[in-house]
Amino acid sequence: MRATPRVCAMLGLAVGAASRPASVLAAEILAEPPSDLIVTVYRAPYRNGGSIDLDDLQGFALISETRIVHLPAGRSRLRFEGVADGIEPASAIITGFAGGVIEKNRDARLLSPAALVAATLGKPVELLRTIRKTGKTERQTGTLLSDADGVVFQTPQGIEALRCSGLPETFSFEPVSGLSARPTLSVEVRSPRAETKQVTLSYLARGFDWAADYTATLSDDGKSFDLGAWVTLANSNGVGFPSAHTQVVAGTVNRANGEEEVEPIDIGGPMLAQCWPRGSTSDVSEIRMFKLADDEFKANAPMPMAMRVASLQEVVVAGAKNVQQEQLGDLKLYRVPERTTLASRQSKQVRLMDRTGIPVNTVYGADVDVEEDDAVSTPAHRLLRTKNSAANHLGLPLPSGGVAVFGAVGGQRLLEHESDLRDTAADEEVEINMGESPDVQVTANKEKVSIDRAPDLLPLVPGVSLRSVKIGAANRVAISNARASGIEFDLRLQLEAGARVVRADHALGAKNGRPIFRLHVPANETVTVRYQIQRTAERILRTP
Amino acid sequence: MRLPLIFMACSAWLSATSAWGADRTLSVTIYADDLALVQDRRDIDVKEGRQRIEFQDVSAQIRPETVSLAAADISIIEQNFDFDLLTPAKLMEKAVGQEITIVRVNPATGAETREQAQVLATNGGVVLKIGQRIEVLRDDGLPVRVIFSKVPDNLRARPTLSVSIIGARAGTRRATLSYLTPGLGWKADYVALFNESDAKIDVQGWVTLTNSSGTTYDNAQTLLVAGSPSQADGGAANNYRPPPRRSTLQVPGTASGNRERLGDYYLYPLAERTTIANLQTKQVSFLDVHGVPAEHGYEFRNRWLGTAEMPVSAKSIYSFSTSAHAGLGDQLPAGILRFYMRDKRGDPQFIGESRIDHTPMGSTLSLATGDAFDVKVHAVVEKRTRIATFDWQTDMRYELTNALPRSVVVKLRQEGLWGDSSIKAESQKSTRPSAEVAEWAVTVPANGKATLTASFETRY
Repeated sequence: MRATPRVCAMLGLAVGAASRPASVLAAEILAEPPSDLIVTVYRAPYRNGGSIDLDDLQGFALISETRIVHLPAGRSRLRFEGVADGIEPASAIITGFAGGVIEKNRDARLLSPAALVAATLGKPVELLRTIRKTGKTERQTGTLLSDADGVVFQTPQGIEALRCSGLPETFSFEPVSGLSARPTLSVEVRSPRAETKQVTLSYLARGFDWAADYTATLSDDGKSFDLGAWVTLANSNGVGFPSAHTQVVAGTVNRANGEEEVEPIDIGGPMLAQCWPRGSTSDVSEIRMFKLADDEFKANAPMPMAMRVASLQEVVVAGAKNVQQEQLGDLKLYRVPERTTLASRQSKQVRLMDRTGIPVNTVYGADVDVEEDDAVSTPAHRLLRTKNSAANHLGLPLPSGGVAVFGAVGGQRLLEHESDLRDTAADEEVEINMGESPDVQVTANKEKVSIDRAPDLLPLVPGVSLRSVKIGAANRVAISNARASGIEFDLRLQLEAGARVVRADHALGAKNGRPIFRLHVPANETVTVRYQIQRTAERILRTP
Repeated sequence: MRLPLIFMACSAWLSATSAWGADRTLSVTIYADDLALVQDRRDIDVKEGRQRIEFQDVSAQIRPETVSLAAADISIIEQNFDFDLLTPAKLMEKAVGQEITIVRVNPATGAETREQAQVLATNGGVVLKIGQRIEVLRDDGLPVRVIFSKVPDNLRARPTLSVSIIGARAGTRRATLSYLTPGLGWKADYVALFNESDAKIDVQGWVTLTNSSGTTYDNAQTLLVAGSPSQADGGAANNYRPPPRRSTLQVPGTASGNRERLGDYYLYPLAERTTIANLQTKQVSFLDVHGVPAEHGYEFRNRWLGTAEMPVSAKSIYSFSTSAHAGLGDQLPAGILRFYMRDKRGDPQFIGESRIDHTPMGSTLSLATGDAFDVKVHAVVEKRTRIATFDWQTDMRYELTNALPRSVVVKLRQEGLWGDSSIKAESQKSTRPSAEVAEWAVTVPANGKATLTASFETRY
């Protein structure tokens, strides 16, 4: 969460007190905490469908903060503290200055024990050493010589290493400039006169994501379903956004630096790591001792980003008031109706839509390779198919996400299948994958047809001339239905380039350039389809 | 008796860092490819005769073979780059065979007992010789402080450059230290705000500097070079080349601006001296143009024999010119251009970004910002027929859908037309921008669809 203004002001004073040489000295000014916030969350650019993974949020957000600044006349260095940890500093835009921005800076070094030691290197430092028995603390002034794998310092007595003596030892540092408690962006600006201004800072930040999460509830007869959806958005940053205008954007946007990492923030490694070898005569292995010490440091050190995200647990469901959709260029923008607080490491849900009585077809199907001849039965796949049209009580953009399909059994709602939905525009066809159906099995194999056995010939496919076809092996596909009701079945064939189906005992169609048999398989029956194909080479030989 | 000695050792160690000059001029020239030339001018005190000068505030990633030190009346004997770091373990290791002071602290009373000890070995544990006895340091777990009298010569807190010179005469003089270092880099970042109502963009350009060289460059005069001189060795680590992208440069420009050049590279000097802190990202403005006409369109590229099961979104494309009239009027260093557009409330929202290469003035750029939600193309190979052994006919059907309330034009490109490919029949006239590509401009009505068919004959 953001710190109170008072804490910010104190930090600003402390930082401003000690600073760089006078020639570049610009007054350090701390911007007030944001008075208005806009957070727009974008999906992970390459995730096409499916829900978000709270442990690894690959999306990003555009954050706009409105802040009040009090500028003195002349050049000043303005600090914006508490920006999101995942900030992409190169994307920052600051508007509202009359005199213009001289430069923008993002300092990745945060205030940490290791950063303190590094900043004090070669400078005077005070050593505190306490005698346990008496409780007396001895103070000594020295110089820090090194912080490479352990700390070496110098006192008038000589050179020593920190915490190797077994005595409680620590440093007391002088104030250090340039280290901030929280991720900070700073700008150098020039102002013609002292004034109070309202400025807007916008930037892209990683560690966000969102998805639509649909629930489809099938009616008892399976002929229609109700579709409801949540917008689920999440923030894995250590910074929260209180009372923000929040929206999400659907569609795929280009990220040019998708493969690059954000410049990491240096949270500082463990301080005071190692001493000289400390093995004793009674040690079995001295490695264990170091490991224990190491674990101890790890426990105390700030957790790296990836580990912290794993503890993202809080899920908040905002009231069931739907988001409002608007067009943004070629994208869809969904606005959360009221200001909301997107806290740090939080996921939040807002209602996207609720539609009822959408007619749906259940279609079974299989893709069969014509070369297949193993007589092994495989379960058919099952799809729910409908059209995203107003006539079907839909006809609105459906952003990609996960779909949980529920069916009713004896008045009880049970989960049938979970699958993904891609970005679907209005009037597009919607297909929801329902997995495999063990009740509907498909067996494909070839059967030998003798040239001499003319009576067993299959009918010619319309448009194929008798002369061009020779008789060869036929393919046979059996579809068995163990359900108590008849089903529609799409049998699609995979052919090599230039090959075609010449004879078949069922009507032949085409879908996406490939032959398809649209079949009805009655309850508890088996339908067998037989067909013959002709390959390219055969055809060139036969047709002049 | 011992203390003055220690003070001497310590003051000598500190005086070796005397090259921290107060009157110092730093200039940093940063190339686009993780390489920088640092020129450090400062006054150094030189004694007569042989001496060593240490430079501790140089880049931690300095390429020592590129260092050159120039000053009047000195001759250089050798340059050393020491990277043996001062750690407690090294300190003890280098003390083997030498005398150290141990201070035993009585846990009950806090009373200190001082003893001299000789370090015999540091293998696993520290073995000491005290008088005629052998002891293991802190074997009993009781507190023992170890005090060393000096820091061994080669150990440093940070990698350090030292130069041994012979001074012809004593005195202060101006010296120039220059070297190459990785860890400093820059690129351009652009912000473009697209105004939908009048199809114009406002573009701001920022130079983004990054410093991960481990050192802060205070108050440096900074010059950026838009180009990357090839490095004999440093470039080898970056052999990875991403797969080819959609070309953003449509028409290379032929105009010259008034930017300064170095050879064929453009130079971008920063107007004011600046401090480039370690681990800092710094941005400085170099371009601010308003009201440049821009065009918004759609593009779909189908690979050869590309069949999709479901419709695929067309790319949303923005194009504009970098010429002086009706354009940005500047050459653009390589970087990322981010597009924004205002939403219904008037807040700018991000709508996608695209990388551009070094672009001359007067060019036409065409940048893809992302996928159009409402404009989709469903490409299908309807039929493949073998006409002769090396002659195929391919029938393609493209179904274009538009769920927007206005009509759009999609630039549909069928790619991969290799060999002797020709179009035998098509439902709309195509153009052939190159032998490999056939292109159609298909108008799709508002909330409607359009179908394009084409029949290709490929002989090879």
